[in-house]
This record gives sequence, C-alpha cells and structure tokens, in this order.
Amino acid sequence: MATITLEHVTKVYPNGFEAVHDLNLNVADGEFMVLVGPSGCGKTTALRMVAGLEDITAGSVSIGERVVNDVSPKDRDIAMVFQNYALYPHMTVAENIGFALKLRKVPKEQIKQKVIEAAELLGLTQWVDRKPGQLSGGQRQRVAMGRAIVREPSVFLMDEPLSNLDAKLRVQMRAEISRIQRRLGVATLYVTHDQVEAMTMGDRVAVLSAGRLQQCDTPQNLYDHPTNLFVAGFMGSPAMNLFEAVVAEGATQLFIGSQAITLPSELHAVRPTLKSYAGKSIVVGIRPENLPLTDNARDSESTASPFEGHVELVEALGSELLVHFTTDAHAFEITEVMDSNAAGLADGTLTKGDAGVARVEAHTKIAAGERIRFWLNPERLHYFDRATSELIV
Amino acid sequence: MSDLVDSTNQLEVGRGDVVSATHGPTSKKDGHLRRKAWIRRLPLLPALIYMVIVTQAPFVVTLWYSFRGWNTETPGSNKFVGFASYSAVLSDPAFRSAAVVTIEMTASAAIISMLLGSAMAILINRTFMGRGVVRTMLITPFLVMPVATALLFGTTIYDPYFGLLNWILSPFGVNHVNWVGLYSMPSVVAVLVWEWAPFMMLIVLAGLQSESLESLEAARVDGANAFKTFVWITLPHLRQYIELGLLLGSIYIVQAFGEIFILTDGGGGNGSATTNLPFYIYNKVFNAFDFSQAAAAGVIVVIATEIVATVTLRLLSGLFRATEVMS
Repeated sequence: MATITLEHVTKVYPNGFEAVHDLNLNVADGEFMVLVGPSGCGKTTALRMVAGLEDITAGSVSIGERVVNDVSPKDRDIAMVFQNYALYPHMTVAENIGFALKLRKVPKEQIKQKVIEAAELLGLTQWVDRKPGQLSGGQRQRVAMGRAIVREPSVFLMDEPLSNLDAKLRVQMRAEISRIQRRLGVATLYVTHDQVEAMTMGDRVAVLSAGRLQQCDTPQNLYDHPTNLFVAGFMGSPAMNLFEAVVAEGATQLFIGSQAITLPSELHAVRPTLKSYAGKSIVVGIRPENLPLTDNARDSESTASPFEGHVELVEALGSELLVHFTTDAHAFEITEVMDSNAAGLADGTLTKGDAGVARVEAHTKIAAGERIRFWLNPERLHYFDRATSELIV
Repeated sequence: MSDLVDSTNQLEVGRGDVVSATHGPTSKKDGHLRRKAWIRRLPLLPALIYMVIVTQAPFVVTLWYSFRGWNTETPGSNKFVGFASYSAVLSDPAFRSAAVVTIEMTASAAIISMLLGSAMAILINRTFMGRGVVRTMLITPFLVMPVATALLFGTTIYDPYFGLLNWILSPFGVNHVNWVGLYSMPSVVAVLVWEWAPFMMLIVLAGLQSESLESLEAARVDGANAFKTFVWITLPHLRQYIELGLLLGSIYIVQAFGEIFILTDGGGGNGSATTNLPFYIYNKVFNAFDFSQAAAAGVIVVIATEIVATVTLRLLSGLFRATEVMS
C-alpha cells in the first residue's frame, strides 16, 4: 500500500527527443489512475520511469515516502503488466505466477497456496500446468495479471494490458481488472490510448499530449469541464464538435458561421472573461448530446437559440441516432499533436472541416438531405481561446 | 516441352488435384495423376542419383570389402572371410583407444568451445563502437581451412623455438616447451576450440537476440538481479540453442582429421594419444594397407555414430517441440 508521486519529471532521450516534460502527478493510496493520450505522447515512458526501466532526466519519482529515482526495479516493490504480457515461455502458468515469490525465497508450500488462490481469482485453475504458448490471448493476459497480484506489491503498473485482445474480451477484462484492483486496493497507474478505457476504469484520468499533462481529473469532470481544446477533442466518442465562432461587439451574440446565438447575461456572470473577446474569433465546443431538436428545450431553457444545419448522414445505433450535419461554419478536429514546445495547441494541430455530429433520440424522423434545427443552450457550450487553446472562464 | 513445364508447376498440379477431388476420382484420372506426380519428381532425380553415387555406393563397396580379408601386402588375401575383419578390429586395443580418444577429443572441444563461444556471444550482444568489425573478426577462425589452421598453430604458436606461446610465457620461466609433443591432446583440442568457438558464438548470439526484451524487464520488475535473470530466464531460453550448437559441433568434430594429421600425426603420449577413429582408419589403409579392416572399422563407426546421433536427437527432440509451441 503506497502512493505514487511524480514531481517535475522530465525525460529527454539521448537523441534529444523530450518524451515527458515537467510532469506532476499524484496517485493516492488505492486509487486507479489512468494515463491516456495518443500514441507517442509519453505516457508509456512516464510509466516506465515509475517502474525503473527508464532513467529519469530531471525531477523525482516517489513510491510511498521514498524517492526511488536511483532504486533498481527489483527493489521498488512494484508489479507490472506488460502490453505483450512478457510471460516466461519456458515456465508453466503456475511457475510464471510464482516466479517473483520464488525469487524472494518464499517457502514452497506458501507459493503453491498463493498461486492456487490467484489462479482461482482469475479462473485459471485448469491451466496452471500449461505453458504460455498453449494459452489463448485472454488467458495469457490473465496469467500476466496473476503474476502481478500474487506479489501483493505496493503499486501496480499496467502498460496497455488490453490492447492485444479482441473487442469483446477487452470489455470483459476491463471490468475484471477494475474489480480486482478495487478488491486489492493497491495504487494503480494504468496506461492506455483508448479514451473509453480511461473513462470507464479510472478513478481519475490524466490526459497527456506531446509529453505534457493537459488535465488530470475524474472522468466526469474531464468530460464536463475540459480545460483546453485537446482534452475537449480527445475525450468523448463521438468527439465534441469544435466550431470557429466570432464574438459580436458587446458580447451579446456569438456568430457560428452566419448563425447568431444569443449570449445571455447569466453566461457572462459565469464566464466573465468572455466579454474581452468581443470582436474576436474563438473556438466553441458543443457535445453531440447538447444539440436537442425539440422546441421543448426552448420552453424549459429560455436562453436557447436556434442553430440550423444540413443533414448529410444518419447513423442508427439502435439506442440513438448520430446525425452528421454541415453548416457554413468552420469545424475543427484534433489530430496528432507533434510540437512538444507548444504551450497549447498550434493551429496546425486542428484540421478544418465543416461537419458536426449530433446525438438524438432513436425514433426521431430525420433523413439525409433535410434541413435540421437544433436548440443551443449557450451555458452548455465550451468556449476556447484560439491562440492558447485554453478554456475561456 | 511446354507441357512438361506446365505440369511441373506446383500451382498447376495443385489446381488439378482440387478439380479431380470435386469431380470424383476415376481410374483414368488416377493414372493421369500418377504420371503427373512422377513428372513433378523427375527434376529431383539427378540429385538423387548423384547422392547415391557419392554416398551410398561407396558405403556398399565398403560393406563389401569389410567381409573380405584384403591386405595388399598379403597376396591372395582378397577373399570372403565373413566377420573376421570385424572381430580383428573389435579386439584391436588400438581401435578401442581410438574410440576413447574420439570421445575425449569431441566432448572436450565441443564443451570448451561452447563455454568460450557463449562468453563471446554475451560480450558481443550489446551495442558498442566497432561492433560489426569485432564480430567479423571473431567469426574469422571458423572460415579458415582446418589444415591451414593446424599449420599456423604448429609453426607459429606451438613451435618449441620460435613459437609465440613459448615467447609469451618466457617471462614466467617457461622455456622451449615442445607443446605438441608433451601435451598433444590439449594442443589439438585448443586448435579445434579456436575453430569452433566462433560457430558456437553465432548460434548462442542468435539465441540471445531472439530473446524478448519484455521478458527480461518483467524479470527485473519481479525482483531478479542480473545473475538470477540470466540463470532463470536467459539460460532456459538459450538451452535449445546450446543443445543445437553442441550437436552440430560434435558431428563435425568427430570427423576431425586435418588438424591431427598436420600437428601430431596421431602421436603423443604412448604414441597414439591423438589417434581418433578417422585417423585410425586412415592408418589402417595407408600404413597397414589392410583395406578390409579399415572398411570394417568404418562400418562400425557409422553404426555407432548412428546410434549415438539417434539417441541424442531423441533427447533433444524437446528442442523441436519447444520451437513449435513458440511459433
């Protein structure tokens, strides 16, 4: 049982590439912390620095009260699950799970007992005498988990452990790992590039991009209150619609393309700096579910303004419809963030388009080619500075 | 001609098989297929004939002579004598001594080259400046002809008066030692090790480079230090490579001849300390002129080697199972 603390951690590779820049992160005891970001964002490097498999260029990593920068992996009291499982091919499942205990000279009887318990917990009992080569991907993944939990370490580290499984098994193992982690109550740092995994598994989620921490919060807060454009665009599926918009003089109206949205005074009370953007171009974010179709929305939320689009495509998901529409406004999409020196998002990281997505009730009658009218509540919108990409508060 | 080319094309034949399977077999089709199959194998025939001429025919001739009593120094001896040559060879103390020498020489050379080769492989299995050059230089001894190697060792290294070995050891009070005469077996084994350690290094290096880095990292996280990681993770992984290296190396070292011929001429110790089985057979023909006993000894060696190889392969079959599972 311990905490993980990263203070001003930086990693620069010998070739000069800065993989992680000034990362501060604190994983509380028993907490499930997910590190998420696109590939190459430095999340695996950060995890490997905690494991001791990668040198730390600057800053400090602590496990519990102890700074472990110069402690070798074997003395850090950690257990790690690798992306490709890293099982020992010449050992049986039981030997794989018990290997760490054997190294610690735990008595044989005790090892056997613990291996049996772990195998039962993971449903591996009938395979304990098999070699990894004779197991399926899901079973190997369980053995890797078994090897980690049998140690009773103070910290779990997991590096994309589900990425090699098929979609159905991934959903199943997602729940299983969460269940085991809660049961053992061990601080866990979990790396993934899949934002759905991050949302569903993490107590808190840290979003990384280009080696920098963008935001670290509970999944719901990340979704509801993204602090910058990257987090806004990365979390959520389908992604948040990001439109170029201009704040009218006096800041009473917002133009998304040619359509005017009324900005009520209540909004300015919550977001006082928005006034200073009068006459300037900003980026406005709209979650697909915040594009209601009915006038009811107008009745209950008196501040709503109409927002029209041209329906391009309707995707029926059974429980809901995804309506793809176009407007005369510029839309943005978050692509790869390559410039690690950028404080926020450079213009190049946004690609321009004109399409938006709305999530509407399943039995709504809409067809491609029709005009569609949404009712936008300005208080549900997210406003971002174009230059810094930060949220306007 | 174009018909033949078409028929030998495997893809064509394969397609033909499928067609016949769907249409149901008929006797006419069967005959046609059999002819096609023969045409397909025909190109292999020259190789087969060549193999029979250079390996099987000499063996049959050897077998033939082994049942005769042919000694060119004894007129009229070239007649059928049954197993007399075999019993003569088996009761010859020199033959038994040669068998023991062969086992000692092969085992010590193979094991020492494996130890040395593994050590070199571990040293070279990391990145450093000039790694490619070092690797090439380490492999070079394997590419030198055995006779050339033996000549080089005999004249420049082992020579009692001008040899490098005596020169290097002279500060330690070693003077004009006749290495080949006094330590003939170790001298020959040293030459064999010099030749075969690079081979073992290559095989073990292949093993080291095929090891998954993640497994090594997992072992580090699991609490193993460098030594334990090597013993528990790397060595079991290398086992099949080491077995393969020892097997292949032994097969070749058993046949060592040039090194012995050049360096010791089979001598040393009581006069035959480096006479292995190939050299014994050579002596039977070119010194004793007893072709039949040489033939009988040859047949015995083939049978014995066959038995040893079969047993070893069976023991090592884990090697093939393991690779199947991993792939």
